[in-house]
Amino acid sequence: MTAVKLGRIALSVLAIVLAIVWIFPVYWMVNSAFISTAVLQQFTPHFFPGQYFTWSNFTGAISDGSFFGALGMSVTITLLVVAVCLVFAFLGAVAISRFKFRGRKSFVLALLLIQMLPAEGLFIAQYKMVSSVGLLNTVVGVSVIYIAAVIPFTIWMLRGFVAGVPAELEEAAMVDGLSRFQAFMRITFPLLAPGLVASGVYAFLQAWNEFTVAVVLLPAESAQTLPLWLRGFVQASATRETDWGQVMAASTIVAIPVIIFFLIVQGRMTSGIVGGAVKG
Amino acid sequence: MSAHAPGPRIQPRRTTGIPYVLIVPAVIALLLGLGYPLIWQFITAFQKYGLAQQFGKPPEWVGFDNFADLLWNGEFWAVLVRSLLFCVVTAAVTVVVGVLMAQLMNAVGRTVRLILQVSMLFAWAMPVAAATTVFIWLFDRRRGVVNFLLDAIPGVDMNRFDWLGHPITFFIVASVLIIWMSVPFVSFAVYAGLTQISDEVMEAAQIDGAGAWQRFRRIIVPMIRPVLSIVLLLQLIWDLRVFAQITLLKDAGSKSGDFDLLGTYIYKLGTAANDYGMASAVSIIVLIITLALSWVYVRELIKEDEAQ
Amino acid sequence: MKRKIGALAAATAALVVLAGCAPSGDKPNPDDAKGQDITFWLMGGDTPDALRDYLKTEYKKATGGTLTIEEQGWGDALAKLQTALPDADNTPDVTEIGNTWSPTFTTVGAFSDVSDLYGELGGDKLLKSFVDVGAVDGKNYALPYYFGSRYVFYRKDLYSAAGVEVPTTLPQLTEVAQKLHTDSLSGFYIGGEDWRNGISWIFAHGGDLAKKDGDTWKSTLSDAKSVEGLKALQELYTSASNAPVTEADSTPWVNINTQPNAAAPESATIIAPGWAHWSIGDLAPDPKDDTKTVATWNDDVFGVYVLPGVDGGVAPVFAGGSNIAISAASKNQAGARKLLKIIFSPEYQKMLGENGLGPANSDYVSSLGDDQFAKALIESALGSKLTPAAPGWAAVEGSGLLEEFFGKVNAGGDVESLAAEYDKKIDALLNG
Repeated sequence: MTAVKLGRIALSVLAIVLAIVWIFPVYWMVNSAFISTAVLQQFTPHFFPGQYFTWSNFTGAISDGSFFGALGMSVTITLLVVAVCLVFAFLGAVAISRFKFRGRKSFVLALLLIQMLPAEGLFIAQYKMVSSVGLLNTVVGVSVIYIAAVIPFTIWMLRGFVAGVPAELEEAAMVDGLSRFQAFMRITFPLLAPGLVASGVYAFLQAWNEFTVAVVLLPAESAQTLPLWLRGFVQASATRETDWGQVMAASTIVAIPVIIFFLIVQGRMTSGIVGGAVKG
Repeated sequence: MSAHAPGPRIQPRRTTGIPYVLIVPAVIALLLGLGYPLIWQFITAFQKYGLAQQFGKPPEWVGFDNFADLLWNGEFWAVLVRSLLFCVVTAAVTVVVGVLMAQLMNAVGRTVRLILQVSMLFAWAMPVAAATTVFIWLFDRRRGVVNFLLDAIPGVDMNRFDWLGHPITFFIVASVLIIWMSVPFVSFAVYAGLTQISDEVMEAAQIDGAGAWQRFRRIIVPMIRPVLSIVLLLQLIWDLRVFAQITLLKDAGSKSGDFDLLGTYIYKLGTAANDYGMASAVSIIVLIITLALSWVYVRELIKEDEAQ
Repeated sequence: MKRKIGALAAATAALVVLAGCAPSGDKPNPDDAKGQDITFWLMGGDTPDALRDYLKTEYKKATGGTLTIEEQGWGDALAKLQTALPDADNTPDVTEIGNTWSPTFTTVGAFSDVSDLYGELGGDKLLKSFVDVGAVDGKNYALPYYFGSRYVFYRKDLYSAAGVEVPTTLPQLTEVAQKLHTDSLSGFYIGGEDWRNGISWIFAHGGDLAKKDGDTWKSTLSDAKSVEGLKALQELYTSASNAPVTEADSTPWVNINTQPNAAAPESATIIAPGWAHWSIGDLAPDPKDDTKTVATWNDDVFGVYVLPGVDGGVAPVFAGGSNIAISAASKNQAGARKLLKIIFSPEYQKMLGENGLGPANSDYVSSLGDDQFAKALIESALGSKLTPAAPGWAAVEGSGLLEEFFGKVNAGGDVESLAAEYDKKIDALLNG
């Protein structure tokens, strides 16, 4: 009995230690963001801001002027990508898991292939395409590229969920006099919520984090997204010594919306991921 | 959602246009976003396409020259081997650590589990650019806290150790960064799988005298196998294509080709050295190699799909 | 959809070709620029805000149009230039461009011919090496914007403590650096991959990076003189610099400054672009904002000298700086030409000098002042050299081959075999 208990305690201690290790980089980012650059420049690290606590890194980062524009761009692009991907991927997932049709196999295979293609050689073509229709420096231009990059995986993920809802349930509802569409909306759709959340998280992260396509498709300063804004702070240090305090404050600012989003959807997320993954 | 829910029955009662209508939006989105770039890339792989072509000079067809050049290009093979090694090691460690973390979550009490989950959630939520920047700061040669902590261990001299200055330690940092970011996804997925194994089964196995390892091998592994195989495939695909982390770490470290993986190599060939033909050829080769490596899985997937 | 894109792309390409081939006879008159709104790309933050405001105001006064200035980070500049410049709808009308990239973009026809304005903008008074890299077949496309040659900063206190004098020849410099060098102090702090400073050693020994042989450029790292220079650099790095072998020329001055907490400086000598002197000195909390530190130059502790030549005199150092050019695809050629006139006006040239940026026009170099920094800047600029005007030079830089090569040399590799190996790699890119 005591041995089992001891083992449990040991595991708990291990879990706490791992939790600390895992959160340490995040903690270190926030910690450095609240310490003035003058102090960070010294060679001894400080594990708590303590007497050196300052907001100046945050005010400095935001007062740069382009922050709110970048925040607006990032939020708009991310919401657009998440919304469009969820709707389109949901429809596509229903098609391949509820219907048999000619071309279905090629479609599934194509979805897989697209994910394997490296995107680093495509910038020139993406630029030509987006610019030729006058969508450079616009939300739509860059979103079109993101949506195409995110949709294959979201369809793949959602397909497992749609397949996981037994068709018998729908049939039973149809026997009760509902149309196929009604049966689907009333019975199947609610069961898909976790899957939609999980796919939404994926789309959100992709759209929020991307910066290499954005560099080329959003060249104007007024059209930059948050990752580009953050990159500006890091790049400025090519000719100046890195202002680590400000860079960490900017990193924190970029991370906060994602963390808020994650905390909101947290509960549904874990069940969502496994549902999709199990059914592949 | 249970792993052994009855499989869906597809009812081709009538051949209708409904499935086509349903996939039309996705297909259009894919064609819009990827159609032209992919066709361009495929064509360019067979051309000599450089900066002059970008400024209007007609490109010259060179057949398979770009591919032939790559065959004799030692640097390309070095990058390819390095990328495959990096991808396999990183993906394997990610999955192993992820499974162990999931087991740990399953074994500890509610409060401790919640603490562990929240801390992993934060790591998962970190945007790539922010996470990479933080790691550069953690491993900074002069003021990085990693060197400070290691140096504090008696007998260890890590003062000013330049992590990003040597290919091996550079890729260790990159790998740790990617593992740190990816493990939460894996362990949440596996943990959710573990919670579906009923306690009765485990207890029955224990009464029958199955040890911890046997229970793991005989019950847990088969149950989470579908999760594991797909997670591993995804990690392999993603880790082979890794670009953002490597390019940001290189910005803080060295421009030398010894620090390139496939993603940065393609970018360097195309955007930096203006040889788009070659960059496109490498992209196509990478696609073929990825497909070859994952072919067994893809075939299984298609077979399983047809069986439905 | 796709066909439409194709057609549009073709139309764009045609426009570019047309613009590139426009006969120089009907050059737009800068005075026709009434109301043209134009965009000007600056690379990095070197141009101070006051100068940007001046350009905007003057442009408005002259044309009634709006001048938009967009700052591009050096890191992403190459990607942005090669996508935007050929694109008539989105090209910057005027752009600053790294001087070493000028030959590449000029050769492919990215810029408008400004030969007819050349005389008016300064003619022979303009910095010749910069003019040369922006010219093809005797026509001028890219012109100098500013220069910032590199010179040496050193700590007088450490020199006198070690009993060494300011060196007057390059071999002496190595000796001095070796005497100063300890495990915690670089006698001469230079990064292993720092090719922009490293090439000065090749130049100083009479070597060159590449030469034009008939119509083709050939990399000349393995020429006897280049090898001699590389070996001298290798000796200096391995025996007197504690900098990481992978470090390029980012911010060497952090090693020479006096730290506020009295930590010992890590280097006695560095080489850096002239404007670095604003960042060198005794670090102390900024009186305006004590969360930051500022460096205050201290004549008792710090001094400057130019990199000496092998037999004394001045070594030819890398001529840092930028060029400026009008995009050939720009629809606002008249406005763009007007902006060039403002930039090359005596007023603006003087403003560049007053802010420590070497003015393009030699008549206004005196505006740099006559303090030690200005003297060192001008002295080092006189003999300075640029990278080869080869069409593929931007690709050579972009592919990181120079960092790789200098890093391997300074890591202690065999200079002859490395030079031969990288000559081959560079030759493959050099001719575009």
